[in-house]
Amino acid sequence: MTASGGDLCRHCLLPVGPRALQQTINGESCAFCCYGCSIAFQVKNGKTEEWEAAWLLIRLGIGGFLSMNIMLFSLLIYGGVFTGADARVLPVIDILLLILATPTVIILGGPFLRETLVEGARGRLTSSTLIVIGVGAAYVYSAVAVFEKNAQVYFDTATMVLMLFTLGRYLEAAGRARAARDLEPLLAAERENVRVVQNDGTESFCPVREVETGTLVRVRPGERIAVDGVIIGGASRTDEAVITGESRPVEKSVGSAVIAGSINMEGPLLIRSSGSGTATRWAQICRSVREALIRRSPIQRLADRAVAVAVPSVLLLGALTVVYWAQWLPLHRAMLMGVAVLVVACPCAVGLAAPLATSLGIGRLARHGCLVRDASVLESLARVRLLAFDKTGTLTLGKARVVAIETDGTATSEALAMAAGLERHSEHSLGRAVVKAAAVQSVATAFARDVRAIPGRGITGQIDGAIAAAGSLALMHDLNFSIAPALAESGRQAEASGYSVIYVGWAAKTRALISLDDTPVADARLTIDALRARGINAVVLTGDLAPVAHRVAAALGIEDVRAGLAPEDKRIALGGYNRSRDQVAMVGDGLNDGPVLAEADVGIAVGTATDLAREAAAVVLPVGGLWLLPWIVDCARAVSKTVRTNLFWAFGYNFVALTLASLGMLQPIIAAAIMAGSSILVVLNSLRLERLPEPASSPQAQDRSAGAQGIHHELGLPVALGAVIEQS
Amino acid sequence: MTYYVVVFAAGFAGSFHCIGMCGGFACGLGRDPRGRAATALRHLLYNSGRLTTYCFLGALAGALGQIICTRQGTTFSLMGGSLDALERVLATVAGLLMIAMALQFFGLLQAFHRLTAGFVSSTFAISLRSLMTTRNRAAPLAFGVFNGFLPCPLVYAFAAEAASTFQALPGLLTMAAFGLGTFPAMLMMGGVGRVLAPAWRQRGVWLAGSCILLLGIITLGRGILPFGAHVAHGFLGGHPA
Repeated sequence: MTASGGDLCRHCLLPVGPRALQQTINGESCAFCCYGCSIAFQVKNGKTEEWEAAWLLIRLGIGGFLSMNIMLFSLLIYGGVFTGADARVLPVIDILLLILATPTVIILGGPFLRETLVEGARGRLTSSTLIVIGVGAAYVYSAVAVFEKNAQVYFDTATMVLMLFTLGRYLEAAGRARAARDLEPLLAAERENVRVVQNDGTESFCPVREVETGTLVRVRPGERIAVDGVIIGGASRTDEAVITGESRPVEKSVGSAVIAGSINMEGPLLIRSSGSGTATRWAQICRSVREALIRRSPIQRLADRAVAVAVPSVLLLGALTVVYWAQWLPLHRAMLMGVAVLVVACPCAVGLAAPLATSLGIGRLARHGCLVRDASVLESLARVRLLAFDKTGTLTLGKARVVAIETDGTATSEALAMAAGLERHSEHSLGRAVVKAAAVQSVATAFARDVRAIPGRGITGQIDGAIAAAGSLALMHDLNFSIAPALAESGRQAEASGYSVIYVGWAAKTRALISLDDTPVADARLTIDALRARGINAVVLTGDLAPVAHRVAAALGIEDVRAGLAPEDKRIALGGYNRSRDQVAMVGDGLNDGPVLAEADVGIAVGTATDLAREAAAVVLPVGGLWLLPWIVDCARAVSKTVRTNLFWAFGYNFVALTLASLGMLQPIIAAAIMAGSSILVVLNSLRLERLPEPASSPQAQDRSAGAQGIHHELGLPVALGAVIEQS
Repeated sequence: MTYYVVVFAAGFAGSFHCIGMCGGFACGLGRDPRGRAATALRHLLYNSGRLTTYCFLGALAGALGQIICTRQGTTFSLMGGSLDALERVLATVAGLLMIAMALQFFGLLQAFHRLTAGFVSSTFAISLRSLMTTRNRAAPLAFGVFNGFLPCPLVYAFAAEAASTFQALPGLLTMAAFGLGTFPAMLMMGGVGRVLAPAWRQRGVWLAGSCILLLGIITLGRGILPFGAHVAHGFLGGHPA
């Protein structure tokens, strides 16, 4: 394991596993999961001045040239061109084929042989072993046959099998790299180099992990900003999609904070780092994505075990095939059937089935800011039938807003103006909600003097020479303000159903009451509906009072509500659901949600969640990303389905081909083509995940224009109408 | 023999079309600083790499045609002039394919072009680019081999034609004649590096289109005309096998 390569293949970003291939490319040590990735990476990134990269291509080209020539002659021989009078040239052609085949086998077979030897020394048999034994048998037999003047040579088999496997691995690796496109910017955090400006003004490159607080970093347009910091020179716009999930340019100038992972789109920037290069959120995301990719899901472990026992059994089957058929057929025919068995049984596609689809899914989710901590999470999420929500901070924002104003006949705008005039001086969150409501309704706030905050009661002041107050009923009593019985009654009702109520009075009379409620998360109702359309029921588990919980749940269309639960009770309640349904997920945010997130089959933390909740959760949503839930479920289901079809194809392919080969119905060359085809089929099947629809555009964007009207509608409605939770 | 001459002529005329893409590569290969002989060797290696790929494709296509159409023991059905139903279907398909290619050369079928180009070209183009500048002596050979696989309507057309011969050898010879036909223009491009006037290139494309159209019609004729009416086939001398 190297600092730069880590445990992921440099090319396709799948875990390299125990068979890592280490190579030095462009002066950097890189780890690859397979020979194909090493080829594909060098073709794509190798500089032509680099001997290694160019030589690889030349070798493949020459191997192709030689094997195509061998195949040409063989096709002519099979086509019956050299029959009759021409048959006497056949021995000459055989010798020519030997001369062509020997360098081909060395050039193309070298990497397979090396892998076999290295792994063999560690006591492991791999699919390369099968290829080497199969090809070696065909080559050695043919070489002996040439000198014994035996008419049957199989140089074409030996070389074409090598060529097809090399080509198949290359194409497969090229396809796999496409699957990793979404992951690349996330994993770049660990190997990014930054341009550090020294005290004397010179610039030098250094790895991002060496950046400390106060380091000056220059970022050119088009480059990725690798550190958190503040701009001290230049202006530009940045794209913060990697972190926030939303791809739109954000204006930046001197003094603006920039986040690591965003892309500098326009001008050069000079940034003073505000922390260590490894402590950025980007680096954290990178680490968590890397861990998710490396962890193997249960289905993958199963496939790995199958692969591990496959190679020895295939060797045995190949030997049995030869022994069996040698009783009835000439040895060379029997041997060819054995070779076909070895070649066709390469379990490459099985090992590829699960990790490819999962990494595509993880990358896709990550591009929209959703972090998945574990590959198996996607499989559990696909089977989730019940989604439990925490209320405050998850379904609601935990921020008050005005939902109704009731008066004794005074104009609501006047009451609001008075209240806002006082609350303007308040630090209380309810007070700020009142001021905001006045601003939204374009009500001019009254001018208040001598404003005094009375802790636990409210606020008083002088407006137009009269004493005015906004606060609790107790404050009204303290000031001896009279109150109409109807107003007092609806105030009691509102408080009983969990609303926060501010009484407003002036000139010795309580004239209005303002009801405030928690703000529901944008699109929560649509999200719940969309989940229900996917067969997922929602329940609310909250520590809040029952009336509040029921009101919120009713507004969102959730029937099952458990209120007044302590953190431990939540965990027990979820356990009850766990037993009755197959998979249960929990969405939460707070400190107290840690245990219940860990208890759920899938714990989902919202973006604003506390660190503890994030640690305990298997999926972390971006800030304001509750609306992504249905899409995430879609992705998980698609990934899970793809893994299954992949495994079905790969196993089915191997099974059918193996049967045909051991019955002697498959030529080794066709077998090699089929095997190369099976891996490519798995890659293509997985790449279909790219066609998953993007999530519908973020409601926040629409919110900015539509939100103002939303509050307008809600204001002025009497409390008696109950829950008024609209999307805002 | 006449048949292969027509194919050669089509290749020759068509190669002026190739100059746009492959000619660029040949130019890029350029001159060897080690002298004229080295330069010539370089381009011969490049072109023989290309030719090998073409021959391989031709033989493969012919053999595939043979595998599909041959029943036990009747390997030389074509010589006897007895085309069975499957061969007719293949010949019809190949003929239609060639006519489509020819029409595309006349600028009449643009959608077809998009289908043929850009399929695997990006992958190949990447490897070609990095091979182009390598100083290694064997690089031009590898370069030529990859170049031969570049998606090109001309190559597809003749591969289809090769398949319709239903045998490895005529298939190989068809593609070989085509490949040799492209030699003069490609060698000239490499050696002289002079770009032909666009008017001449256009004429070459039209000529190539006409040749391919002619071959396509003949092949289609083999597929759909009754047995006695293989006039064109007889006129061109048939396939030696």
